[in-house]
Amino acid sequence: MKLNRQFSRLLNGWMILSIGIVLLILFPNISILINFFTQETSNWDHIKTHILPLLIQNTSIIMIFTGFFTIMIGTSLAWLVSAYDFPFKRFFQWGLILPLAIPPYIAAYTYNGMLNYTGVIQTGLRNQFNIQVDQRYFDIMTLPGSIFIFTLFLYPYVYMITRAFLANQSAALIENAKMLGSNSFEIFFRVVMPISRGAIVGGVSLVLLEVLNDYGVVQYFGIPTFSTAIFQTWFGMGDLNAAIKLSATLMFIVFFILIVEKFLRGRKRYSYTAARVRPLTPIRLTGWRAWSVFAYAGIIFALAFLIPVIQLVDWMVLTYDKMIDPVFLSLIFNSLFVALAGAAMIVIFAVIVANFARTQQNWLSKASTRTIILGYSIPGAVIAVGIITVFIQIDELLFGIYEAIGLDPTLILSTSLFMLISAFVIRFLAVGFNAIESGFDKTGIKFSEASRTLGMSMTKTFFKVDVHLIKGAIFSGFILSFIEIMKELPLTLILRPFNFDTLSTKAFQYASDEQIHEASLPSIIIIVLSGIAIYFFHHVVEKEPD
Amino acid sequence: MKKQYVLFSIIAMMLLVLAACGGNNNEESQNNTDGSNTTGDDQGEINLYTGRHYETDQALYDQFTDETGIKVNVIKGKDDELIARLEREGKASKADLLITADAGRLYRAKTQELLQPVESDTLTNNIPEKYRDPENEWFGLTKRARIIAYHKERVNPDDIQSYEDLTKDAFQDKVLIRSSSNIYNQSLLASLIALNGEPDAKTWAEGVVDNMARDPKGGDRDQAIAVAAGEGDVAVMNTYYLGKMLNAEDEEQVKAAEQLGVIFPNQDSTGTHVNISGIGLTTSSPNKDNAILFMEFLTKEQAQEQFAKANYEYPVNPNVAVADLLESWGSFKEQDLNLSKLGEFNNEAIMIMNEIGWK
Repeated sequence: MKLNRQFSRLLNGWMILSIGIVLLILFPNISILINFFTQETSNWDHIKTHILPLLIQNTSIIMIFTGFFTIMIGTSLAWLVSAYDFPFKRFFQWGLILPLAIPPYIAAYTYNGMLNYTGVIQTGLRNQFNIQVDQRYFDIMTLPGSIFIFTLFLYPYVYMITRAFLANQSAALIENAKMLGSNSFEIFFRVVMPISRGAIVGGVSLVLLEVLNDYGVVQYFGIPTFSTAIFQTWFGMGDLNAAIKLSATLMFIVFFILIVEKFLRGRKRYSYTAARVRPLTPIRLTGWRAWSVFAYAGIIFALAFLIPVIQLVDWMVLTYDKMIDPVFLSLIFNSLFVALAGAAMIVIFAVIVANFARTQQNWLSKASTRTIILGYSIPGAVIAVGIITVFIQIDELLFGIYEAIGLDPTLILSTSLFMLISAFVIRFLAVGFNAIESGFDKTGIKFSEASRTLGMSMTKTFFKVDVHLIKGAIFSGFILSFIEIMKELPLTLILRPFNFDTLSTKAFQYASDEQIHEASLPSIIIIVLSGIAIYFFHHVVEKEPD
Repeated sequence: MKKQYVLFSIIAMMLLVLAACGGNNNEESQNNTDGSNTTGDDQGEINLYTGRHYETDQALYDQFTDETGIKVNVIKGKDDELIARLEREGKASKADLLITADAGRLYRAKTQELLQPVESDTLTNNIPEKYRDPENEWFGLTKRARIIAYHKERVNPDDIQSYEDLTKDAFQDKVLIRSSSNIYNQSLLASLIALNGEPDAKTWAEGVVDNMARDPKGGDRDQAIAVAAGEGDVAVMNTYYLGKMLNAEDEEQVKAAEQLGVIFPNQDSTGTHVNISGIGLTTSSPNKDNAILFMEFLTKEQAQEQFAKANYEYPVNPNVAVADLLESWGSFKEQDLNLSKLGEFNNEAIMIMNEIGWK
């Protein structure tokens, strides 16, 4: 009786939709994971003895250092921008997110193109001053070099989330600390870092998942990591089973990160009870203090955005005349189309599951939220295989229907854009979901509960109350997913329909053929479009608590 | 005021997306019906999966469409991913043709029964036997030689005449070669396994690793640049990369490439390692006749000339002259090996590389 009532309370539209979404994500992954339980192959023995130790070592080093540096840079910038006024601060507020617009693999090619023997720096020294330098000091294609690239182009995740938190939440605590006589360093390390723990951990876990999933940078730099090894065993040795075992090992690491994340965020829920929170009032810095803060933010901005973009523009000038044609315009349209459609679907799905999960705290909702992260944690190419398998099966099931409505019984879904966009949803749902979940976390459940008590249904409450409270979060989720899809590579490469190119497939095509100059134009356009998205994001979301 | 603005812009964007979705679906279904109508006509289309990404290839496809009226639909990707996609699509696949940039990959597609034999006198006449599958399931289109580039001032070319010379003590810390994940190196080692046996090939690979100037990284061009920069003295690379560097828009690449000389290794013994990019007809091909026409078109003299000139590759058709630059490097003796061996020994090559720590 009790069980029955509990079940009927659960059973509503939100739950059914959520379960549907979770299944959508689960199916492709199951079709891959089933292979995990098959017998070990001889290749797996070989991998275990010869390459696995190195993979674990390299991957751990990259993750630890990238994690550390992104936390330091991201949090310190977030703090400076929130708590102080200094020259060009208004620009830096959003300018410091811009590095997110540059795909790390393009950054890697660009930095190497600048620093290597034929690059602008060494040629300048050689031709102007006749200085030959030791190559070792200019070699970025190393393990530390990859940490440099990942740090610079991924720190905005930490910066963004932490800053949003600090701007809205911390005024009272920080002002108290100040009154009690703490100096700014003490405040940063003893108040700011601990209270923004949740935000920092959320940001850095996104960074680490991006790092684990990266293929472009480590492959170009020749650093064996899990993602390169998965590709090599699957494609090189033709052994999907061994590749999946590697993926599964990687997934354990990911789950570990996610559990640690939940644990570190702790049981505390930071939600505010007042409808209005007092934002932090920035202190105006003057003199050398102002300019040194400016210099710090400026150097990071220059390294992570300005310099690589100038280099890319320089290369673009060399090649643009032979690149621009009507076909090129279609690339821009294609990229925008899949990114907008994908991001829209992601936020809709994410809102549904997040709302289900927070209103009904039970094993089912918990399982749903964990499943959503799955897509983000498995390398794109591996997901792609799962997705193709599932879509071909769906197509085969639908052959009868195709015939009934007068179409050829061939692969229709699995050769259409629908498959690609679904793939983006599966892959990046976690990105939108994280943003929206944290929006819900922040507002808490008090207002919705009040609305329910006053007699509105869950769905009505959602549209009348919740959407208004979290629209900033919905928007961030949309923009972040948009940017991710613009930059995405392996899924787009494998799953796109015939004659369908996007900016990122074009940029990659040139870069992988070692024609980095030709790759600059599509890269620049990716950066500009994502940059506009970031600007828009900042100006709409920033001004929201009005 | 602002709240409404945000909400409005969200709704507007969703509507836009929905409209675009709807529009696109219509367009697509139209395309589909168009496609099924025209396949019966004398024009039709072919669907191509290709691992070659050069702009010049597109020009060839356009030329084919101009001549025959047959439309060429293309999906570009990495060789391995395209093969994985073909395998998953199985019988229902719409792909007619697979082009890869490595013979070993075509061999793998064949062993996975993704390709079917093609009986065509044009193809067998245009392509020498060793550049095609013994059962005619795949055919080479262009050749590339894996050569040794040396620094003209620092190296006496007499010292470096074979792949084996790379392992000599004289080149301790002087050898530049890319990582073992690179298919060209895997195929090079596979060819040495086929010619000299596994123990010898393994010893050779160990010698190369011992002599490496640095941990392998970057592409073929990066190896050449590292020689110019003095990080090492000799680099293993494909011919067309050097050709492209010498003709690059970037003056510095040209200057770097000009410091290098070319050695075709093993002229007195087993010959220089040659790989191909090639094409195969898929098992499921829905437009078989058109696809074979396209294969024949690519091996004819006109198309072969274009391949050779635009991309500094060697044509497989022996009647076609090579580009002037390649001409200036002279003719050379090739490994006497059917290229399907590259696929047969690929797995062993990777295992050796992992075991001896070729990163």
